[in-house]
Amino acid sequence: MGPWGFVLLAYGIVWGAIVLYSLSLRRRYRRAEEELVRLRESEAGQIRAQK
Amino acid sequence: MGEFSNSSGKRKGYLGALALIAILFGLYWGLLQAPADAFQGEVQRIMYLHIPSILTAYLSFFLVFVGSCLYLWKREKRDDILAYSAAEIGVLFTALTIVEGSIWGKPTWGVWWTWDARLTLTAILLLIFVGYLMLRSLIEEESRAAASAAVLGIIGFLDIPLIHMSVYWWRTLHQPPSILRPDKAPWENIHPAMLTALAINFVAFVLLYFYLLSHRFRLGEMLEEIRTRKLRRDT
Repeated sequence: MGPWGFVLLAYGIVWGAIVLYSLSLRRRYRRAEEELVRLRESEAGQIRAQK
Repeated sequence: MGEFSNSSGKRKGYLGALALIAILFGLYWGLLQAPADAFQGEVQRIMYLHIPSILTAYLSFFLVFVGSCLYLWKREKRDDILAYSAAEIGVLFTALTIVEGSIWGKPTWGVWWTWDARLTLTAILLLIFVGYLMLRSLIEEESRAAASAAVLGIIGFLDIPLIHMSVYWWRTLHQPPSILRPDKAPWENIHPAMLTALAINFVAFVLLYFYLLSHRFRLGEMLEEIRTRKLRRDT
């Protein structure tokens, strides 16, 4: 591999890993948001039922 | 609350946009504008990733240290969430530093890896914080996991001064620092275009880091709220 091959390999791995981490973070974030909404709605439903 | 979330979301959006602009500038300067190194040639361009990555990892583990100390002192959950979030992103940047160093090492030193003092201590730093993340998932009781991880986070941070000083204390293959030197200012040691590329990439990494940290911290807060609500529901 030539010098530019090493440079591009390093840049590719770094930015690829950062993009993958960002996507995984976004997925976990959305999942948590959805679960929180579900929990809040079910709690609100329980309170309404008690009334 | 909704208003707060919206303004916080907007701030994160601006931070993300700023980080993206800085990254594009960094790529332009690092790959096209900065000259090739007189001795290392083009592979030296890997340093525009390698140095910002490790400095960002140090910053991250400093926040783990601060969050861990505050958590052990005050027992406030948000300090623990800060430490946990910073540890996760710190692991990413440390792993990337090792990979970049390895790719740079092959054409420069002739090997992908060597048991040099600085490299070994950096690998130990990575292992300590991978252990930190594993500890969090292995201990079920939340407050015990947070306290144990805080102690490990503080111990792990103490490896960083060792990494920095290792090139002075031991005869190593890794060269002494070019930026954080006690005897010379960076601009006396590095070509201005190279220093500019390094500075832009450092700013880009720090902006990106705070963008990721703000999202990871918010995720931590949401996970804590989910845990609390589930506990309340089940009792």
